[in-house]
Amino acid sequence: MPQLSITDLTIEYSSAGYRIRPIDNLTTTADAGSLLLVLGPSGCGKTSMLSALGGILTPHSGSIRVGDLEVTQLSGRDLTAYRQRTVGIVFQAFNLVASLTAQENVTVPLRAAGVPWKTARARAAELLDRVGLADRMKHRPGALSGGQQQRVALARALALDPPLILADEPTAHLDYIQVEEVLRLIRELAAGDRVVVVSTHDQRLLPLADSVVELVPSLGVTNRPPERCRLARGEVLFRQGSWGDMIYTVESGEIEIVGELANGQEELLALKEVGSYFGEVGPLYNIPRSATARARTPAVVMAYTTRDFRHRVSPLPNGKRNAAKRRAKNPQP
Amino acid sequence: MFLITLRDLQWRRRRFVIAIVGTSLMFSMALTLSGLSHGFDVEAESAVRQLHASGWVVATGSTGPFLGSAPLPAALATAVGRVPGITAAGPVVYGRTAVGTGPGAKDANVFGAEPGHPGMPAVSSGRPPRTAGEVAVSTRLVGDYPLGSTIALAGRRYTVVGRVPNSTILAGVPCVFLTLSDAQRLVFGNLSTASTIAISGAPTAALPRGVVLESNHDAVADLERPLLAAHSAVAFIAVLLFLVAALIVGSMVYLSALERQRDFAVLKATGITSRSILGGLAIQSVLVSVGAAALALVLSLAIIPLFPLRVVVTNDSRILLPAVGVLVGVLASGLAIRRATAVDPALAFGGP
Repeated sequence: MPQLSITDLTIEYSSAGYRIRPIDNLTTTADAGSLLLVLGPSGCGKTSMLSALGGILTPHSGSIRVGDLEVTQLSGRDLTAYRQRTVGIVFQAFNLVASLTAQENVTVPLRAAGVPWKTARARAAELLDRVGLADRMKHRPGALSGGQQQRVALARALALDPPLILADEPTAHLDYIQVEEVLRLIRELAAGDRVVVVSTHDQRLLPLADSVVELVPSLGVTNRPPERCRLARGEVLFRQGSWGDMIYTVESGEIEIVGELANGQEELLALKEVGSYFGEVGPLYNIPRSATARARTPAVVMAYTTRDFRHRVSPLPNGKRNAAKRRAKNPQP
Repeated sequence: MFLITLRDLQWRRRRFVIAIVGTSLMFSMALTLSGLSHGFDVEAESAVRQLHASGWVVATGSTGPFLGSAPLPAALATAVGRVPGITAAGPVVYGRTAVGTGPGAKDANVFGAEPGHPGMPAVSSGRPPRTAGEVAVSTRLVGDYPLGSTIALAGRRYTVVGRVPNSTILAGVPCVFLTLSDAQRLVFGNLSTASTIAISGAPTAALPRGVVLESNHDAVADLERPLLAAHSAVAFIAVLLFLVAALIVGSMVYLSALERQRDFAVLKATGITSRSILGGLAIQSVLVSVGAAALALVLSLAIIPLFPLRVVVTNDSRILLPAVGVLVGVLASGLAIRRATAVDPALAFGGP
């Protein structure tokens, strides 16, 4: 039985009134002693996923099991106990308490869990020694380098020897020498009954991983000829939150661009008529679709790859955008 | 969490010290004002006690033996003195006058009584006035009036024969003590009227018609009546000062909470209960307030002697001040606690 099991996980929240679904039906597992790498660009839902694993964010649906514990069912004291004893988090920005020494930072979760003061101090000293900071115990975070701070954060995450360690972009603010130290430690932590989940956009971490979850789907061939699509009235071309690599121009009919609101309703954002284009932001910036495109009338649209679209539009200054639109209106196959 | 609270106090010590000093000034002023207010009571009680009377016979309808008195015949003192239970009775005259003349004249309270009878205070030096033209003056009377010097009261000159310690009423207005006849002449312009009859003992039979007995408590209330508005104003200002103190502490702790939002998010994310975090903030606020209260007690020792009026700070007030400090601290931390409660632990994720 895997130590960490994520099944049909969907995370959804509202942002500025719109419904955002960064994680949609994700299923994965990680065995004890393994390192799971969550890979993806900014905004793809890595942090949301870690928040859900850490019991900080309640997912919209799905299941997260750590050992025999169903995390999504926890609340109140059980959730607090889960955060204290089952999960340790290493944050991207280190997040050490500036007024505390390295040793005191590590004692915080121990004291919160009711560990006596002397025992907590001894345990903190032991952990700091383990991460190579025995001679920096009395230093405040401001007197430590980024790598040292991250190692203190690792020691803090390990304080109560949790079976799950979450590391959010642990190398984001480190130089390559510090990265090496931190990665070695993180890799060493993935042993015994413990699972380490690391979220990153840095593909150099791939060799560390026992398993990988890519939060941006592979979109297949990016160099293909334009493709004509016929849509019936009301037919959805793409949905808000989905990933896509094609940009569209309207050849006939009308396409409505609607935002899906958090309250379940829709908001009409734009109406695309013959000659206009849409759907360019997601593929160009490698982010999910920010709205849904649906045929208002029977319509025909032409789909272009980003390369083809750039070729037709981007070399032109802004004032000649209309000319580009005119060309797009009669694309060359 | 206490460690984090303590370390944060050390970390931001300059700010906390400024808050403690500012708050202590508010507390010491509030303490001084409460002492001033209490000083009005002590002054009136002391003045009445100095007159050595156990009761005051006044005309029916009067609202006190001094300020609210209706004139009554001085000769009535003989009849009152014969009432069983009363061991001594003497007419007393009360009025206001001015010491000196011209722009430098000062207000004074005039008391007139018969030597050896209730209503005439004991002196700290010299002797009480016995014959016409003699006066005993309060040691609080501004100006140099040694024994044997002369003093002008409403244009008439008197010889100072005695000094009465700290005798003032009505918020620091000094008292002068004349013979009954001199006071009658000064206040009423005739020799047959008195404001009240001071008695010793307690009557066990009915008093003569047309008069009633008032207690020393009534006499004190009579002297305090004009100061009720001042009492209210002082209490109001004291409350305002406590509010300002709460604002100082509250602003400081709120600012600290704003700056520590990321810390709170991390603490919550690592399983520290909100209650512990909020408790830490409240403790921080209370520590600042109690520290300010302690400093205020020291500051008040320096401020009170400089005050032109009698300020009597009781031990109860001194003991109560730290308790008020705790209350102020708890109230002041309210906003910061609300802010800390609202912190989402998810804030701990993401970049710096």
